[in-house]
Amino acid sequence: MRSLGRKPLSIAVVSGKGGTGKTSFSASLALSRPSVVAVDADVEEPNLALLLGNPVMATMNVTIPVPAVDAEKCTRCGTCSRTCRFGAVFSFGKGAPVFNDLCHGCGACVLACPERALYEVDRPVGFVGRGVSNEIVLVEGRLLVGMPNPVPVIERTVELGLSEGRDAVIDSPPGAACPMVAAVREADAAILVTEPTPFGMADAEVAAQVLRDMGKPAALVVNRSGILETEPLFEGVLGTLPELARLAFSRSVAEGSARGIPPTELDPSWREAAKVAWQWASEVAR
Amino acid sequence: MKPREIVVMSGKGGTGKTTLASVLAWSLSGKCVLCDADVDVPDLWILLNPRVREEEDFVGGDKAELHRPPCNDCGNCVPACRFGALSVEDGKVVLDRSRCEGCGACTVVCPKGAFSLSPAVQGRIFGSETDFGPFWHARLVPGGENSGRLVQVLRERAKKTAVEQGKPWILVDGPPGIACPAISAMTGCDLALAVTEPSRSGLHDLKRLGELAKRFRVPMAVVLNRFDLSEEGAKAIREACREKGWPLLAEIPFQLEIVKDLAQARIPAVILHEAAERVLEGSEALLRVDAR
Repeated sequence: MRSLGRKPLSIAVVSGKGGTGKTSFSASLALSRPSVVAVDADVEEPNLALLLGNPVMATMNVTIPVPAVDAEKCTRCGTCSRTCRFGAVFSFGKGAPVFNDLCHGCGACVLACPERALYEVDRPVGFVGRGVSNEIVLVEGRLLVGMPNPVPVIERTVELGLSEGRDAVIDSPPGAACPMVAAVREADAAILVTEPTPFGMADAEVAAQVLRDMGKPAALVVNRSGILETEPLFEGVLGTLPELARLAFSRSVAEGSARGIPPTELDPSWREAAKVAWQWASEVAR
Repeated sequence: MKPREIVVMSGKGGTGKTTLASVLAWSLSGKCVLCDADVDVPDLWILLNPRVREEEDFVGGDKAELHRPPCNDCGNCVPACRFGALSVEDGKVVLDRSRCEGCGACTVVCPKGAFSLSPAVQGRIFGSETDFGPFWHARLVPGGENSGRLVQVLRERAKKTAVEQGKPWILVDGPPGIACPAISAMTGCDLALAVTEPSRSGLHDLKRLGELAKRFRVPMAVVLNRFDLSEEGAKAIREACREKGWPLLAEIPFQLEIVKDLAQARIPAVILHEAAERVLEGSEALLRVDAR
């Protein structure tokens, strides 16, 4: 790990609505500053590596603790299934309890068992990969397909990413629910990438409210501008955020992204926007 | 007849899921019940102009409450909470309800019985009427939890309405991603329509969605949107569809008029109704029904 000689700066990139250019802007941020760590916390659909070109090499499992039963100690009292709030533990009749995929790994059943008949085993729910190229470290989280809860994978990915001790870009999941909150929580500042459409604005407003409630400094980057002659004004919480850049709709940027070419290589206004964003973040993080 | 339930999914966000759902609603006008399962950031209402008929709170599970007294700040609860909702600050136990998952581990370990669990409102459910049919939608509170359960409730409502009103179709606009709300939107549907785009990320996310559909035994068909943005990308999607046995029901070119319609909250029905017809014909063939 190298030392920056100062506290590293971390920016989370969020969007509310999917497909507004969040990952493209994350890649642009990563490519516009020396020696950053790019953290892909969109663990359901990690796509940042496709734009940065990093090979993801070393991986480690993310696990959650799930209960298992020592059938000899178990007296079939049913305390475990009554304690579980998620419908993940069933005990009936003379059989030992059985556990299903709804388990949150909270451990309440283990704590509640009067016979100490339950113990925990690690169940993999995802993994975190790491790859280095062109001075950029990529840390990528990946949820196993079929696992319902991405939050433990997101938290571990962000933790490992920030432990690199570099300035960090965190590509967050879309939406504004618990996965987005988990991705943003440790960041110094958040950049909300949106588009001037009713959809982009409605979704970004929800995300902006969450960021405000979290007390997170936030700013806007407006993408795909210029489609309508008069663009709608941002109102609500969105209207109170500083606008760092307005990026014109560009078919060549869209075509480039489809082929894995980051927009900074095609359009100087993305490079400029990324610089402005780093500058803004360093000011609000102080 | 049992209504057929189609869910529009995408994996990757922004591929045109809600756009396709809106033109399918237009084509199925009067014959469908609509449901927006993207409860976290719902958008279908913007295109459907719903007239809300009924609404209610969504109680999404419990949250802990800490009562003082009897709490004596012993701190036993802190290590029991796996979600970081409990900590000790200046000798006092502090509960951060935003991190609480309502598991009740704290109630199990607290020697003083200082914790209780109470239901928390996590969103609001709306039953509406639109020009195309009844519409169930919701809004999760910002940063809210248990979206999977909310999606389940909306789908149950939509099914009940479809049966009561004899509508042959239920059309669900699904959430992006592959985690709890996506699983909840897809499980038990008759068909998942995956909207994708000819990009590397589109292909990557389509494959993950396909794995999810297989795991939950939901037949999946594909709609390729903006196919002309990358010839190479479109070829890769077509190959994946052939290889995995996903029927490719329609390919839609990039058209600025669609973007303009959407920017003005209009359903791009004039441009897309033929594509919608192809998707519906393909879906009917796959489901072996003629419900229209």
